[in-house]
Amino acid sequence: MIGVPAGERGQGVPRVEMQFDLPHRQHEPRGELGVRYRIEGCEGETIRAVEHSVLWYTEGKGEEDLGVHFFQRIADRGLLPPTATSGAFSTPLPQSPLSYEGVIVKVRWCVRVRIFFEGGRDFVSEHVFTLGRIPPGRPPGPQPAAEVRR
Amino acid sequence: MTNPFATRFTRPGVLASRDAGGEPVDVDGMLRRFDGLGGAAVIVGPHGSGKSTLLAHLAAAIERRGGPVARHRVRGWRDVPPLWGTLWRTPPGGVLCVDSWECLRPPARVLVRLAARLRGCRLLVTAHQPVGVPVLARCRPSLPLLHALVAELLGRAEACGGAEAVERAAIGPADIAAAFRNHGGDLRESLYELYDRFEASGQGPGVGGPVLTGMTIVPAAGGKFTNTTPVFLPQAHQTAS
Repeated sequence: MIGVPAGERGQGVPRVEMQFDLPHRQHEPRGELGVRYRIEGCEGETIRAVEHSVLWYTEGKGEEDLGVHFFQRIADRGLLPPTATSGAFSTPLPQSPLSYEGVIVKVRWCVRVRIFFEGGRDFVSEHVFTLGRIPPGRPPGPQPAAEVRR
Repeated sequence: MTNPFATRFTRPGVLASRDAGGEPVDVDGMLRRFDGLGGAAVIVGPHGSGKSTLLAHLAAAIERRGGPVARHRVRGWRDVPPLWGTLWRTPPGGVLCVDSWECLRPPARVLVRLAARLRGCRLLVTAHQPVGVPVLARCRPSLPLLHALVAELLGRAEACGGAEAVERAAIGPADIAAAFRNHGGDLRESLYELYDRFEASGQGPGVGGPVLTGMTIVPAAGGKFTNTTPVFLPQAHQTAS
């Protein structure tokens, strides 16, 4: 779970408690991702909308990339209690790209919950999970003697 | 483990804009200077000196005060048509921010300036050398500036739960000085070298630990993203080993 302050206007800092259906947040390609969350710490503020997204992004040196796999916006006031809310959503996961912890580039998947408050400010909470089981890359080191060629 | 020197934490607009002494730039004051310069101004400096970062902060400040801003990064002549489109979409009274203005050929620069003037838009550009418009700021890379940037990056990482990883990585003044020297003062390349050093220190793949995220959080004027606040995820990012 992360909590990221959205502004410096005196409001409380919201917190999103995220619970994944699978332990260790380890998911398989074409599997089902299911999460439940609870928003806390925004008493006294009215939530205007909540956005759910599941996406991947790259992290490393050079250009960045990302892809949004799932997006859902809830703006129905009937579904948005004035001071607190909770929710759940699920989506089938794709076959790729798989999570990868490389040296130059890393591929990460995450669930984001973005909360929009009346008055304009918003807040984003991001929760990383793993898709697939690619072994991590290793920084280059000395080559084994058998592979050294003259 | 997230590498705090990854592009998503160092790209223009994420780090604070700082002067050669490493002190934060007074962006609002600079914006007032820009207002007094008329229709166009340039931020001048060599590669990797912080021009794009300053431009991003100025653009964000203009947006915060409600001014329309359009951004465009030029890489070559192929970017002229999209730049033209961006200019056409910039409303009168808006500011067109163009990164790497020198990549445009002189006739294209003249045309864009003329078109901007006719549309009632202002131009704020970056270039390596003065380009015939008033100079708003000169960016100069320096070792104290790199130290300040690294301190900001590592400080964020520590504050968000990555203190142990940062300590293990042990990026010290000697590493920073070596990176600065190896790249002739290019701050961007220096940060890339520190990325490599961080990976080589064993903080990289397979180590696990907190994952630093680069979410863009808005103190919400106009509902637009204006600032990026990286935080560490306390959740261990496990990968197969």
